[in-house]
Amino acid sequence: MREWIAVFKRGIAIDNPLTVLMIGLCATLAVSTKVEGALFMGLAVIFVLGMSSVIVSSIRHLVPEKVRIPVFIVIIASFVTIVDLTMKAFVPDVYDFLGVWIPLIVVNCMILGRAEAFSYHNPVRLAVADGLGMGSGFAIVIVVLAFIRELFGSGEIVFLGANLLSLPDGYPAPGILVLFPGAFIVFGFIVALTAWYNRRTTGRTVETSAHCTIEEGGR
Amino acid sequence: METLQHFALLLVGGALVNNILLTRFIGLCPFFGVSGAMETSVGMAGAVVFVMTLATTATWVFWNVLLEPLGVGEFLYIPAFILVIAALVQFVEMYLRKSSPALYRSLGIFLPLITTNCAVLATATESVRPGFFMMGIDYGFGFGEALVYTIGVAIGFGIALISFAALRERLEVAPVPEAMKGIPMAFITAGLLSFGYVGLGGLFGL
Repeated sequence: MREWIAVFKRGIAIDNPLTVLMIGLCATLAVSTKVEGALFMGLAVIFVLGMSSVIVSSIRHLVPEKVRIPVFIVIIASFVTIVDLTMKAFVPDVYDFLGVWIPLIVVNCMILGRAEAFSYHNPVRLAVADGLGMGSGFAIVIVVLAFIRELFGSGEIVFLGANLLSLPDGYPAPGILVLFPGAFIVFGFIVALTAWYNRRTTGRTVETSAHCTIEEGGR
Repeated sequence: METLQHFALLLVGGALVNNILLTRFIGLCPFFGVSGAMETSVGMAGAVVFVMTLATTATWVFWNVLLEPLGVGEFLYIPAFILVIAALVQFVEMYLRKSSPALYRSLGIFLPLITTNCAVLATATESVRPGFFMMGIDYGFGFGEALVYTIGVAIGFGIALISFAALRERLEVAPVPEAMKGIPMAFITAGLLSFGYVGLGGLFGL
Protein backbone atom coordinates (compact mmCIF):
# COMPACT_ATOMS: atom_id res chain seq x y z
CA MET A 1 0.00 0.00 0.00
CA ARG A 2 2.84 2.34 0.84
CA GLU A 3 4.35 1.70 -2.56
CA TRP A 4 1.00 2.46 -4.16
CA ILE A 5 0.79 5.82 -2.42
CA ALA A 6 4.38 6.63 -3.32
CA VAL A 7 3.73 5.99 -7.00
CA PHE A 8 0.53 8.03 -6.85
CA LYS A 9 2.22 10.96 -5.15
CA ARG A 10 5.13 10.97 -7.57
CA GLY A 11 2.83 11.91 -10.43
CA ILE A 12 1.50 14.88 -8.53
CA ALA A 13 4.72 16.40 -7.27
CA ILE A 14 8.21 15.28 -8.11
CA ASP A 15 7.43 13.85 -11.55
CA ASN A 16 4.55 16.13 -12.43
CA PRO A 17 3.86 15.51 -16.13
CA LEU A 18 3.45 19.19 -16.93
CA THR A 19 5.89 21.15 -14.85
CA VAL A 20 8.71 18.60 -14.61
CA LEU A 21 8.40 16.03 -17.40
CA MET A 22 7.04 18.69 -19.78
CA ILE A 23 4.73 16.36 -21.64
CA GLY A 24 1.23 17.12 -22.81
CA LEU A 25 1.74 20.86 -22.88
CA CYS A 26 -0.37 21.79 -25.87
CA ALA A 27 -3.76 21.06 -24.37
CA THR A 28 -2.78 22.64 -21.07
CA LEU A 29 -1.95 26.01 -22.52
CA ALA A 30 -4.86 26.03 -24.93
CA VAL A 31 -7.79 25.16 -22.70
CA SER A 32 -6.65 27.00 -19.58
CA THR A 33 -8.55 30.16 -20.46
CA LYS A 34 -11.53 28.96 -18.41
CA VAL A 35 -11.61 27.02 -15.14
CA GLU A 36 -14.67 25.15 -16.36
CA GLY A 37 -13.01 23.84 -19.52
CA ALA A 38 -9.78 23.10 -17.66
CA LEU A 39 -11.59 21.04 -15.03
CA PHE A 40 -13.38 18.91 -17.61
CA MET A 41 -10.17 18.49 -19.57
CA GLY A 42 -8.45 17.34 -16.37
CA LEU A 43 -11.22 14.83 -15.64
CA ALA A 44 -11.11 13.54 -19.21
CA VAL A 45 -7.37 13.00 -18.96
CA ILE A 46 -7.63 11.27 -15.56
CA PHE A 47 -10.24 8.91 -17.03
CA VAL A 48 -8.34 8.12 -20.22
CA LEU A 49 -5.00 7.76 -18.46
CA GLY A 50 -6.40 5.64 -15.64
CA MET A 51 -8.38 3.30 -17.88
CA SER A 52 -5.68 2.90 -20.52
CA SER A 53 -3.14 2.14 -17.76
CA VAL A 54 -5.35 -0.69 -16.52
CA ILE A 55 -5.80 -2.20 -19.97
CA VAL A 56 -2.20 -1.76 -21.12
CA SER A 57 -0.89 -3.21 -17.90
CA SER A 58 -3.23 -6.19 -17.86
CA ILE A 59 -2.40 -7.24 -21.43
CA ARG A 60 1.31 -6.48 -21.17
CA HIS A 61 2.29 -10.16 -21.37
CA LEU A 62 0.16 -10.75 -24.46
CA VAL A 63 1.38 -7.85 -26.58
CA PRO A 64 4.64 -8.44 -28.43
CA GLU A 65 7.20 -5.68 -28.19
CA LYS A 66 7.10 -4.91 -31.91
CA VAL A 67 3.43 -4.02 -32.20
CA ARG A 68 3.02 -2.38 -28.83
CA ILE A 69 2.73 1.23 -30.07
CA PRO A 70 -0.22 0.63 -32.44
CA VAL A 71 -1.91 -1.45 -29.73
CA PHE A 72 -1.50 1.35 -27.20
CA ILE A 73 -2.84 3.87 -29.67
CA VAL A 74 -5.97 1.84 -30.38
CA ILE A 75 -6.62 1.36 -26.65
CA ILE A 76 -6.19 5.05 -25.95
CA ALA A 77 -8.27 6.06 -28.97
CA SER A 78 -11.17 3.90 -27.75
CA PHE A 79 -11.27 5.62 -24.38
CA VAL A 80 -10.95 9.03 -26.00
CA THR A 81 -13.92 8.19 -28.23
CA ILE A 82 -15.92 7.33 -25.09
CA VAL A 83 -15.04 10.70 -23.57
CA ASP A 84 -15.76 12.48 -26.88
CA LEU A 85 -19.27 11.07 -27.21
CA THR A 86 -20.09 11.33 -23.50
CA MET A 87 -19.13 14.99 -23.27
CA LYS A 88 -20.98 15.79 -26.47
CA ALA A 89 -24.12 14.28 -24.97
CA PHE A 90 -24.02 15.65 -21.43
CA VAL A 91 -22.02 18.88 -21.43
CA PRO A 92 -22.38 20.28 -24.97
CA ASP A 93 -21.18 23.77 -24.00
CA VAL A 94 -17.95 22.45 -22.57
CA TYR A 95 -17.61 20.15 -25.58
CA ASP A 96 -17.83 23.12 -27.94
CA PHE A 97 -15.29 25.03 -25.88
CA LEU A 98 -12.80 22.16 -25.84
CA GLY A 99 -13.41 21.42 -29.53
CA VAL A 100 -10.50 19.75 -31.26
CA TRP A 101 -8.72 19.18 -27.94
CA ILE A 102 -10.83 16.16 -27.08
CA PRO A 103 -9.71 14.07 -30.09
CA LEU A 104 -6.21 15.40 -29.52
CA ILE A 105 -6.00 13.58 -26.17
CA VAL A 106 -5.09 10.53 -28.31
CA VAL A 107 -1.81 12.09 -29.35
CA ASN A 108 -1.20 13.72 -26.00
CA CYS A 109 2.25 12.32 -25.44
CA MET A 110 1.62 12.13 -21.72
CA ILE A 111 -0.76 9.21 -22.14
CA LEU A 112 1.25 7.26 -24.70
CA GLY A 113 4.41 8.10 -22.77
CA ARG A 114 3.05 6.68 -19.51
CA ALA A 115 1.73 3.56 -21.24
CA GLU A 116 5.16 3.00 -22.73
CA ALA A 117 7.28 4.01 -19.77
CA PHE A 118 5.26 2.65 -16.86
CA SER A 119 2.13 0.59 -17.51
CA TYR A 120 3.82 -1.75 -19.98
CA HIS A 121 6.35 -2.84 -17.36
CA ASN A 122 4.37 -2.80 -14.13
CA PRO A 123 1.51 -4.74 -12.50
CA VAL A 124 -2.03 -3.41 -12.77
CA ARG A 125 -2.10 -2.23 -9.16
CA LEU A 126 0.82 0.16 -9.66
CA ALA A 127 -0.20 1.13 -13.18
CA VAL A 128 -3.49 2.44 -11.81
CA ALA A 129 -1.63 4.46 -9.20
CA ASP A 130 0.62 5.91 -11.86
CA GLY A 131 -2.27 6.70 -14.20
CA LEU A 132 -4.37 8.36 -11.52
CA GLY A 133 -1.38 10.19 -10.05
CA MET A 134 -0.16 11.54 -13.38
CA GLY A 135 -3.73 12.42 -14.36
CA SER A 136 -4.28 14.27 -11.09
CA GLY A 137 -0.96 16.07 -11.43
CA PHE A 138 -2.05 17.20 -14.87
CA ALA A 139 -5.51 18.25 -13.64
CA ILE A 140 -4.15 20.23 -10.70
CA VAL A 141 -1.69 22.23 -12.77
CA ILE A 142 -4.18 22.94 -15.55
CA VAL A 143 -6.87 24.11 -13.09
CA VAL A 144 -4.40 26.34 -11.22
CA LEU A 145 -3.23 27.85 -14.49
CA ALA A 146 -6.81 28.42 -15.63
CA PHE A 147 -7.72 29.91 -12.24
CA ILE A 148 -4.93 32.49 -12.45
CA ARG A 149 -5.67 33.34 -16.05
CA GLU A 150 -9.44 33.58 -15.75
CA LEU A 151 -9.52 35.42 -12.43
CA PHE A 152 -6.87 38.02 -13.20
CA GLY A 153 -7.46 38.19 -16.93
CA SER A 154 -11.21 38.72 -16.89
CA GLY A 155 -11.86 39.67 -13.26
CA GLU A 156 -14.29 36.87 -12.52
CA ILE A 157 -14.69 33.11 -12.61
CA VAL A 158 -17.76 31.69 -14.27
CA PHE A 159 -18.45 28.00 -13.74
CA LEU A 160 -21.29 26.31 -15.65
CA GLY A 161 -23.13 29.60 -15.91
CA ALA A 162 -22.76 30.56 -12.22
CA ASN A 163 -20.48 33.35 -11.09
CA LEU A 164 -18.15 31.77 -8.53
CA LEU A 165 -15.80 34.54 -7.66
CA SER A 166 -15.22 38.05 -8.85
CA LEU A 167 -12.75 40.80 -8.19
CA PRO A 168 -13.91 44.32 -7.18
CA ASP A 169 -15.53 46.34 -9.94
CA GLY A 170 -12.73 48.84 -10.55
CA TYR A 171 -10.22 46.09 -11.35
CA PRO A 172 -8.56 46.82 -14.68
CA ALA A 173 -8.47 43.33 -16.19
CA PRO A 174 -5.39 42.82 -18.35
CA GLY A 175 -6.96 40.88 -21.21
CA ILE A 176 -3.56 39.67 -22.34
CA LEU A 177 -3.64 36.99 -19.64
CA VAL A 178 -6.58 35.33 -21.33
CA LEU A 179 -5.00 35.68 -24.77
CA PHE A 180 -2.27 33.28 -25.85
CA PRO A 181 0.84 35.17 -24.63
CA GLY A 182 -0.57 35.00 -21.10
CA ALA A 183 -0.58 31.23 -21.20
CA PHE A 184 3.11 31.00 -22.05
CA ILE A 185 4.16 33.59 -19.50
CA VAL A 186 2.06 32.39 -16.55
CA PHE A 187 3.09 28.79 -17.25
CA GLY A 188 6.75 29.84 -17.41
CA PHE A 189 6.46 31.23 -13.89
CA ILE A 190 4.68 28.10 -12.64
CA VAL A 191 7.50 25.94 -14.02
CA ALA A 192 10.11 28.17 -12.39
CA LEU A 193 8.25 27.99 -9.08
CA THR A 194 8.03 24.18 -9.18
CA ALA A 195 11.70 23.89 -10.05
CA TRP A 196 12.57 26.16 -7.13
CA TYR A 197 10.30 24.22 -4.75
CA ASN A 198 11.61 20.82 -5.85
CA ARG A 199 15.18 22.00 -5.41
CA ARG A 200 14.44 23.26 -1.91
CA THR A 201 12.65 20.14 -0.74
CA THR A 202 14.82 17.48 -2.35
CA GLY A 203 18.10 19.35 -2.38
CA ARG A 204 18.75 18.43 -5.98
CA THR A 205 18.01 20.12 -9.23
CA VAL A 206 15.27 18.24 -10.99
CA GLU A 207 16.05 18.43 -14.67
CA THR A 208 13.13 19.74 -16.60
CA SER A 209 13.11 18.34 -20.06
CA ALA A 210 10.96 18.97 -23.07
CA HIS A 211 11.00 15.81 -25.07
CA CYS A 212 8.09 14.16 -26.64
CA THR A 213 9.48 11.04 -28.18
CA ILE A 214 7.91 7.71 -27.51
CA GLU A 215 11.34 6.25 -26.90
CA GLU A 216 12.14 8.44 -23.95
CA GLY A 217 8.84 9.01 -22.22
CA GLY A 218 10.27 8.89 -18.70
CA ARG A 219 12.09 6.03 -17.06
CA MET B 1 -11.15 35.80 -58.57
CA GLU B 2 -13.50 35.05 -55.75
CA THR B 3 -12.00 31.60 -55.28
CA LEU B 4 -8.44 32.88 -55.58
CA GLN B 5 -9.13 35.32 -52.77
CA HIS B 6 -10.69 32.56 -50.71
CA PHE B 7 -7.63 30.35 -51.12
CA ALA B 8 -5.25 33.20 -50.31
CA LEU B 9 -7.20 33.89 -47.13
CA LEU B 10 -7.06 30.24 -46.14
CA LEU B 11 -3.30 30.21 -46.67
CA VAL B 12 -2.61 33.41 -44.70
CA GLY B 13 -5.17 32.53 -42.07
CA GLY B 14 -3.63 29.13 -41.52
CA ALA B 15 -0.05 30.36 -41.53
CA LEU B 16 -0.13 33.64 -39.64
CA VAL B 17 -3.43 34.72 -38.15
CA ASN B 18 -4.22 31.36 -36.59
CA ASN B 19 -0.61 30.28 -36.24
CA ILE B 20 -0.79 26.72 -35.02
CA LEU B 21 2.05 26.96 -32.51
CA LEU B 22 1.86 30.42 -31.03
CA THR B 23 -1.81 31.26 -31.07
CA ARG B 24 -3.39 27.83 -30.82
CA PHE B 25 -0.75 25.85 -28.91
CA ILE B 26 -1.04 22.78 -31.11
CA GLY B 27 2.20 20.83 -31.51
CA LEU B 28 4.14 22.51 -28.73
CA CYS B 29 6.29 19.50 -27.84
CA PRO B 30 8.68 19.82 -30.79
CA PHE B 31 8.45 23.59 -30.39
CA PHE B 32 10.28 23.30 -27.08
CA GLY B 33 11.98 19.99 -27.76
CA VAL B 34 13.94 20.65 -30.96
CA SER B 35 14.19 24.44 -30.98
CA GLY B 36 17.48 24.33 -29.06
CA ALA B 37 19.44 24.15 -32.29
CA MET B 38 18.81 25.97 -35.54
CA GLU B 39 19.73 23.05 -37.78
CA THR B 40 17.28 20.57 -36.28
CA SER B 41 14.53 23.18 -36.34
CA VAL B 42 14.92 23.65 -40.06
CA GLY B 43 14.86 19.86 -40.54
CA MET B 44 11.77 19.50 -38.39
CA ALA B 45 9.98 22.31 -40.21
CA GLY B 46 10.67 20.63 -43.54
CA ALA B 47 9.48 17.26 -42.27
CA VAL B 48 6.26 18.77 -40.92
CA VAL B 49 5.40 20.47 -44.22
CA PHE B 50 5.98 17.16 -45.98
CA VAL B 51 4.10 14.87 -43.60
CA MET B 52 1.22 17.22 -42.85
CA THR B 53 0.39 17.67 -46.51
CA LEU B 54 0.48 13.92 -47.15
CA ALA B 55 -1.50 13.15 -43.99
CA THR B 56 -4.32 15.54 -44.76
CA THR B 57 -4.52 14.26 -48.33
CA ALA B 58 -4.81 10.69 -47.06
CA THR B 59 -7.30 11.39 -44.27
CA TRP B 60 -9.43 13.64 -46.47
CA VAL B 61 -9.79 10.88 -49.04
CA PHE B 62 -10.34 8.29 -46.29
CA TRP B 63 -13.09 10.40 -44.69
CA ASN B 64 -14.89 11.36 -47.87
CA VAL B 65 -14.64 8.00 -49.62
CA LEU B 66 -15.08 5.62 -46.72
CA LEU B 67 -16.09 6.99 -43.33
CA GLU B 68 -18.65 9.61 -44.30
CA PRO B 69 -20.61 7.59 -46.92
CA LEU B 70 -20.79 4.66 -44.49
CA GLY B 71 -22.04 6.95 -41.74
CA VAL B 72 -19.45 5.83 -39.20
CA GLY B 73 -17.28 8.95 -39.22
CA GLU B 74 -18.69 10.25 -35.97
CA PHE B 75 -17.50 7.26 -33.94
CA LEU B 76 -14.49 6.09 -35.85
CA TYR B 77 -12.66 9.18 -36.93
CA ILE B 78 -10.25 9.29 -33.97
CA PRO B 79 -8.79 5.77 -34.23
CA ALA B 80 -9.10 5.75 -38.02
CA PHE B 81 -7.17 8.99 -38.53
CA ILE B 82 -4.42 8.17 -36.10
CA LEU B 83 -3.88 4.77 -37.69
CA VAL B 84 -3.90 6.20 -41.21
CA ILE B 85 -1.34 8.81 -40.18
CA ALA B 86 0.85 6.31 -38.32
CA ALA B 87 0.81 3.86 -41.24
CA LEU B 88 1.50 6.64 -43.73
CA VAL B 89 4.50 7.90 -41.78
CA GLN B 90 5.88 4.36 -41.61
CA PHE B 91 5.55 3.92 -45.37
CA VAL B 92 7.07 7.31 -46.10
CA GLU B 93 9.99 6.45 -43.86
CA MET B 94 10.59 3.11 -45.58
CA TYR B 95 10.21 4.64 -49.03
CA LEU B 96 12.60 7.51 -48.28
CA ARG B 97 15.20 5.19 -46.82
CA LYS B 98 15.31 3.15 -50.03
CA SER B 99 14.77 5.81 -52.65
CA SER B 100 16.37 8.98 -51.37
CA PRO B 101 19.00 8.47 -48.67
CA ALA B 102 19.98 12.15 -48.70
CA LEU B 103 16.46 13.31 -47.93
CA TYR B 104 16.11 10.50 -45.40
CA ARG B 105 19.20 11.66 -43.55
CA SER B 106 17.84 15.18 -43.16
CA LEU B 107 14.19 14.34 -42.43
CA GLY B 108 14.34 10.73 -41.25
CA ILE B 109 14.95 11.17 -37.55
CA PHE B 110 11.97 13.50 -37.25
CA LEU B 111 9.46 11.23 -38.92
CA PRO B 112 8.62 8.93 -35.99
CA LEU B 113 8.27 12.00 -33.79
CA ILE B 114 5.71 13.48 -36.11
CA THR B 115 3.34 10.51 -35.79
CA THR B 116 2.53 11.56 -32.26
CA ASN B 117 2.55 15.25 -33.07
CA CYS B 118 -0.88 16.67 -32.45
CA ALA B 119 -0.44 19.29 -35.17
CA VAL B 120 -0.83 16.67 -37.88
CA LEU B 121 -3.93 15.06 -36.38
CA ALA B 122 -5.47 18.44 -35.58
CA THR B 123 -5.08 19.74 -39.12
CA ALA B 124 -6.39 16.52 -40.61
CA THR B 125 -9.41 16.61 -38.29
CA GLU B 126 -10.16 20.26 -38.89
CA SER B 127 -10.10 19.77 -42.62
CA VAL B 128 -13.01 17.36 -42.59
CA ARG B 129 -14.96 18.01 -39.41
CA PRO B 130 -17.19 21.05 -39.66
CA GLY B 131 -17.33 23.09 -36.49
CA PHE B 132 -13.79 22.42 -35.32
CA PHE B 133 -12.44 25.10 -37.54
CA MET B 134 -12.03 28.60 -36.24
CA MET B 135 -12.29 30.91 -39.22
CA GLY B 136 -16.04 31.06 -39.47
CA ILE B 137 -16.35 28.19 -41.94
CA ASP B 138 -18.82 25.62 -40.73
CA TYR B 139 -18.68 23.03 -43.48
CA GLY B 140 -16.14 20.33 -44.28
CA PHE B 141 -13.47 21.46 -46.70
CA GLY B 142 -13.33 20.56 -50.34
CA PHE B 143 -10.13 18.85 -51.40
CA GLY B 144 -8.44 22.01 -52.72
CA GLU B 145 -9.35 23.99 -49.61
CA ALA B 146 -8.07 21.26 -47.33
CA LEU B 147 -4.76 21.12 -49.20
CA VAL B 148 -4.21 24.89 -49.25
CA TYR B 149 -5.16 25.25 -45.60
CA THR B 150 -2.83 22.44 -44.59
CA ILE B 151 0.11 23.92 -46.49
CA GLY B 152 -0.61 27.26 -44.82
CA VAL B 153 -0.65 25.69 -41.37
CA ALA B 154 2.57 23.80 -42.04
CA ILE B 155 4.33 26.95 -43.25
CA GLY B 156 3.14 28.78 -40.13
CA PHE B 157 4.56 25.96 -38.02
CA GLY B 158 7.91 26.32 -39.79
CA ILE B 159 8.05 30.11 -39.42
CA ALA B 160 7.28 29.99 -35.71
CA LEU B 161 9.69 27.12 -35.00
CA ILE B 162 12.62 28.63 -36.87
CA SER B 163 12.18 32.13 -35.44
CA PHE B 164 11.94 30.68 -31.93
CA ALA B 165 15.10 28.63 -32.49
CA ALA B 166 16.91 31.83 -33.48
CA LEU B 167 15.73 33.52 -30.28
CA ARG B 168 16.82 30.60 -28.12
CA GLU B 169 20.32 30.68 -29.55
CA ARG B 170 20.64 34.22 -28.25
CA LEU B 171 19.08 33.22 -24.95
CA GLU B 172 21.97 30.84 -24.28
CA VAL B 173 24.30 33.73 -23.58
CA ALA B 174 21.80 36.05 -21.90
CA PRO B 175 22.01 36.67 -18.13
CA VAL B 176 18.96 34.89 -16.69
CA PRO B 177 18.07 34.49 -12.97
CA GLU B 178 19.02 31.05 -11.61
CA ALA B 179 15.47 29.76 -11.08
CA MET B 180 14.33 30.86 -14.54
CA LYS B 181 17.18 29.24 -16.48
CA GLY B 182 16.31 26.92 -19.32
CA ILE B 183 12.70 25.93 -19.88
CA PRO B 184 10.94 28.62 -17.78
CA MET B 185 12.77 31.36 -19.68
CA ALA B 186 11.98 29.64 -22.96
CA PHE B 187 8.28 29.88 -22.07
CA ILE B 188 8.52 33.59 -21.29
CA THR B 189 10.34 34.13 -24.59
CA ALA B 190 7.65 32.21 -26.45
CA GLY B 191 5.07 34.42 -24.74
CA LEU B 192 6.83 37.54 -25.95
CA LEU B 193 7.11 36.09 -29.45
CA SER B 194 3.42 35.32 -29.47
CA PHE B 195 2.64 38.94 -28.59
CA GLY B 196 3.58 39.63 -32.19
CA TYR B 197 0.85 37.29 -33.33
CA VAL B 198 -1.78 39.06 -31.23
CA GLY B 199 -1.17 42.00 -33.53
CA LEU B 200 -2.06 39.87 -36.55
CA GLY B 201 -5.46 38.94 -35.11
CA GLY B 202 -8.28 40.42 -37.13
CA LEU B 203 -6.12 40.77 -40.22
CA PHE B 204 -8.42 40.63 -43.32
CA GLY B 205 -11.27 40.06 -40.89
CA LEU B 206 -10.12 36.52 -40.11
